[in-house]
Amino acid sequence: MIDIRGLTVAFGPVTVIDGLDAVLDAPVCGLIGPNGAGKTTLVNVLSGFVAARAGEVHIAGTSLLGLNTARRVRLGLRRSFQNEQVVEDLSTWDNVQAMLDHVPHALGEGQHQVYRALEHTGLLDCAAEPGGQLNLFRRRMVEVAKALVGKPRLILFDEPGAGLDERESRVLRDAIAAIPEQFGAQVLLIDHDVDLIASLCTQTLVLDFGKRLALGPTRAVLDDPAVRRAYLGS
Amino acid sequence: MIPDSVRRERRAARLSLARMVLLVLALGALLPWIANAYWVKTLTSSLALAIAAAGVSLLYGQLGLVSLSQYALLGAGGWVALRVGHGLQWPFEACVLAGGLSAGILGMIAGLPALRLKGLYLALVTLMLAGGFQVVVSATGFPDGGPGWLGRISGSERLMMPRPAIAQDDGAYLAYVAVWLAAMLAVIELHRRTRAGRSWALIRRGEAVAEGAGVNVLLYQTWAFGLAGVCAGVAGALLAGGVGQLDGRAFAASESVMLFALTLIGGAYHWIGALVAGLLLRAVPSLLVDLGVNGYLAMVFFGAALLHALITAPRGLVGQWMATISRLRAPRKAP
Repeated sequence: MIDIRGLTVAFGPVTVIDGLDAVLDAPVCGLIGPNGAGKTTLVNVLSGFVAARAGEVHIAGTSLLGLNTARRVRLGLRRSFQNEQVVEDLSTWDNVQAMLDHVPHALGEGQHQVYRALEHTGLLDCAAEPGGQLNLFRRRMVEVAKALVGKPRLILFDEPGAGLDERESRVLRDAIAAIPEQFGAQVLLIDHDVDLIASLCTQTLVLDFGKRLALGPTRAVLDDPAVRRAYLGS
Repeated sequence: MIPDSVRRERRAARLSLARMVLLVLALGALLPWIANAYWVKTLTSSLALAIAAAGVSLLYGQLGLVSLSQYALLGAGGWVALRVGHGLQWPFEACVLAGGLSAGILGMIAGLPALRLKGLYLALVTLMLAGGFQVVVSATGFPDGGPGWLGRISGSERLMMPRPAIAQDDGAYLAYVAVWLAAMLAVIELHRRTRAGRSWALIRRGEAVAEGAGVNVLLYQTWAFGLAGVCAGVAGALLAGGVGQLDGRAFAASESVMLFALTLIGGAYHWIGALVAGLLLRAVPSLLVDLGVNGYLAMVFFGAALLHALITAPRGLVGQWMATISRLRAPRKAP
C-alpha cells in the first residue's frame, strides 16, 4: 500500500506536486494526468531521484523519503523509465541478472528468479540474445522482467507500453496483470493509454497541475466529468 | 534452471577467455624465436604498454569514461616498483604488484572527479593530473639505487633494477611480460563477464538506470579506475624491469593522450584492441626506424588513423576486423 500525505515537490519557485494526499491500495493502480501534471515527478520522488520539499510517503508501513535510492531498491521498490534502458551488449539474461546483483536474494536462488522473470515475460527463447538485437516489444518486456527479481514490493512502470502495437500491448497487459498474484508486488502504472489503464487498474489517481484531481475505482474516475474535462478533453 | 542457449553462451565465453590467454601466451613463446634483438625489446615494450591500454579500454569501453592520466599512472607504478626493488630488494613479482597496487590507489583518487565530471571536463582534469606528474617526475626523476626517500643516486653510475631470475635474457623477459599481459587481460575479462561488468554496463547506460537498479555507482566507478590504475602500474613496473630504469622525460602528459588515442584506434571493446594499441605505440615507430624513415612520421600516421577510427570505425580497427570476420562467416551459417 502506498500512503502519501501532504507531499510537496518544488523545483525553485515552481511547485510540481502540491500537497498531495493519496492512499493507493489496489494490487494494480493507475496514475494518469495531462502532460506536466507531475506523474513522472511522483515516480521520481517515490524512487528517490527527486527530493520532496514536504510530506510523507509510506510503503507498506515503511517511511520512504528518508531512504536513498539504493536502500529503496533493496526494500523492494522497482521502477522502469519512459525510454527503455536495456543494455545492448548484455544478453537478455544478464540484463535481468544485473538487476538481481544488487537486491537481496537467497544464495542459490538467483538463477531460479531470473528464469521465472523471463518465463513470465515470455523471453526465455531470447535469453542469450544481446539486448541490442531485441525489438522494441522485447526490450519493453525485459524492463518488466528486470522489475520482477529480488522480491519486489512496489513496481513503478512509467509508460511501459509506449510504442507497442495492439497485440503487443495485450501481451504486456497480461504480464503486468499477473504480477501481484505471481510475484506479490503492488504495481503503479503510468500511461497515456486509457484503455490500458481501464483494463488493468482497479484504482486510479488523476493528477492535474500537481494536485489530486480524482482518486478511486478506475471506471468511476474515468467517468468523472472533471477528469474528462481536464484529461480526456470532453 | 538455466536455458540451454544461456549455457551455450557461457561455455563460449569461457572458451574465448581460455583462447585469449593461450593466444597471448603463444605469442610470448613464439616472438622471441622469430624476432631479432632489436624487435624483442620493442615487442616487450609493446606488450607491457598493451596492459596499460587494456586499462584505458576498460574505462572507455565499459564506462564511457575518458581518462588522460593513465600514462602518468604507468610512471607512478614504475616509480614504486623501482623504489621497492632498489630500496627493499623485494622479489621482482612483488615489485610489479607493489607498482600495480600503488597506481591502482592513485587511479582511484584520479577517478574521484568522475563522480561529478564527464566527457571533456573529466578528460581535462585527468590531463592536468598527468601534467602534474610530468612536473614532479621531471624534477625528481626515477629511483636508481640511491639513498633517501627519492632513491636517487649521485656521483656514481645508476643502478639497474634486476630482472626476475626466470627471465634474465631479453627473449625470456618478453615471454614473462606476455604472461603478465595474459593474466591482466584475464582479470579484466573476468570482471567484464561477472557482477562488476554488468554493473559497469548499467552505469554506461546511464547513472539513473544504474541507481534505479541499486548499483553503488561510487563503488563500481572507483573500482574501475582502480583496476585501470593497476593495469597502468603493472605496465610501468614491467617497463622498468625491461630497461632496468626509467627516464623522467619519457612521461610527458602528451603520452597519456597518445595512449588514449591509440587505444581508440585499436579498439576499446575487444582485448585485441589493447594489443594493437601497444604495437602502435612502440612497434610502428620502430618499424619506421627499421625502414630508414623518421620515427616521428608515426605521428602523421596516427593522426590519419585516429580520423579513420572516429569517422568510419567507432569500435576501432579490431571492431572492423571482427565485423568483417562475422560477415565472412555469415553465409556459411546460412542453410
